[in-house]
Amino acid sequence: MNLENFGMDTITLAGPLETRLRAARDAGFTQIMLSARDLVDHPGGEAAAVSAVRQSGLRVTGFQVLRDFEGLSGHLHAYKLDIAKAMLGMCSALGSKVLLMCSSTAANATGDPEMLARDLRKLATLAVPLGIRIAYEALSWGKHVSEFPRAWEIVASADRANLGLALDSFHMLAARTDVDDLDLVDSKKIFIVQLADFMFRELPSREERINTARHFRVFPGEGVHGTEVAELVRRVDNMGFRGDYSFEVFNDDYVQLPASLVTARARASVKWLTDQVSRRSLPIRKDRPRARQPG
Amino acid sequence: MTTRESNPEPSNPLGIDGIEFIEYATSQPQALGSVLQSMGFVPVARHRSREVMLYRQGPMNLIVNSHPDALPGMSAPTATPVLRAIALRVRDAGFAWRRSLDLGAWEMPTRASAMELNIPGIHGAGDSLIYFVDRTKDFSIYDVDFVPLPGTAQRPPAVAGLHYFGVVQAILEERTRDWLEFYGSLFGFSVLPQGKYFGVLPKGTLLESPCHKFYLQLIEPPSGAEDIQWDEALVRVGLGAPDVPAATRALAERGVVFVDRGPVQPSEKGALTQVYLGGVTFELVKSHLRP
Repeated sequence: MNLENFGMDTITLAGPLETRLRAARDAGFTQIMLSARDLVDHPGGEAAAVSAVRQSGLRVTGFQVLRDFEGLSGHLHAYKLDIAKAMLGMCSALGSKVLLMCSSTAANATGDPEMLARDLRKLATLAVPLGIRIAYEALSWGKHVSEFPRAWEIVASADRANLGLALDSFHMLAARTDVDDLDLVDSKKIFIVQLADFMFRELPSREERINTARHFRVFPGEGVHGTEVAELVRRVDNMGFRGDYSFEVFNDDYVQLPASLVTARARASVKWLTDQVSRRSLPIRKDRPRARQPG
Repeated sequence: MTTRESNPEPSNPLGIDGIEFIEYATSQPQALGSVLQSMGFVPVARHRSREVMLYRQGPMNLIVNSHPDALPGMSAPTATPVLRAIALRVRDAGFAWRRSLDLGAWEMPTRASAMELNIPGIHGAGDSLIYFVDRTKDFSIYDVDFVPLPGTAQRPPAVAGLHYFGVVQAILEERTRDWLEFYGSLFGFSVLPQGKYFGVLPKGTLLESPCHKFYLQLIEPPSGAEDIQWDEALVRVGLGAPDVPAATRALAERGVVFVDRGPVQPSEKGALTQVYLGGVTFELVKSHLRP
């Protein structure tokens, strides 16, 4: 595991898209997670944004985020379907192979697992001709799906090759999800692992989770759950996950600092994480003499 | 309150009944026309308002579209012909289209002029389309949209019993399952067991149509082929023949050149034509189908 396995996320960095791309590349990162706003907010328009990304030489880790898609019916479903198609179109234009989708927070969304699986299946089918994979993430304040084991049940039930999970350490920590539940998951169906920590021990209320998630995440190694984040990485690595790790660090301070300062912190986080993980996963020496059995 | 029973769907939910037509797009229709004629296709009708020609041979309809302006979001025809569409004969085109959209197909942009049928369709692989056609009995799409060429027999016989056998689709690496699920969930195609192939190109994965009248062959890039250009697209039409050597001889007499070296040389099982116009090949396949 090295720097190649980790990506920056544009949402952590300040400045024009080109500045953020350059900062990530100058810090040695080879991939970047992009948001729809990166395209539509670009002063030169979406095509100019796509061109900037392609010229940066950075690989696109994924494109985010489709919200509140599943579990709707009638005109609400039709509306969200249009949004999903537009997101898929932008994702494809960027050359991104993954579209992130987070579990619905919509008050009028059903929690009927069959309906949720049906909607995810539909989205996956839409993504097939574009060569895009859908990564479904349990938001810790999602209405019916707020932890990854539930998201996994829906993904497994939908049973599509291009549909899998996005794991996000922030939401797992916020919801206090048991990391042992990863044993339930097929590692090939983990499409991406998003990493962040935070500074509080607990986030018991929905409001605290939302507020911290959107404004005060930090890089792994900077928060108070470092051990758990490192454990998550070690677990998925041991499970055989060889996909991308992406720092999804929403932080109000970081977006008012020079991007190069923030990417330096991200690099330090990569080093901290890889040190933690390699220290804990050193193979036990096989040639160590065994204690003799009594008798 | 409605009661929903969860009974299984029929295996052919759209009532697919074979390939109604295949469409090529090219900016040089005469060049492709001469290749098609050597393959036994005969031009029989011209579109009323667009630069589109209908060819026929036995049970096969084939359309050459050279209309210069493309559908919104799609590219205009280029000199190198491309396989642009497969039209599926279905029980009810409107139903087939709506059901496909409900399950996650992309709606195809439409462009029917006044007094022309509007053929519903969806996006397929790459730039290709899949149409649904149901008016094959009393009056057909061809009666409405096309004007017969004067003095031309409208039902020219097939050379050596040729008929549509299938279409070959190139796909990117590790995309087989995606496409199996696409064709399976939307149309009811089923995958044939690994190792069951027809013809001289036993590669990839074969899917059988729910009507058992044609096949799709999905081919991922061969290993070690990083340097070759490989995009997702429909790449080749397979023509079935009851007697491949007889068909090969008949077509060779008409000037068709077959690849005669290596593993794909003509045999009882099949044959492969040379590449015409930078991208068009036909594959002959020993066929058990009854068109």
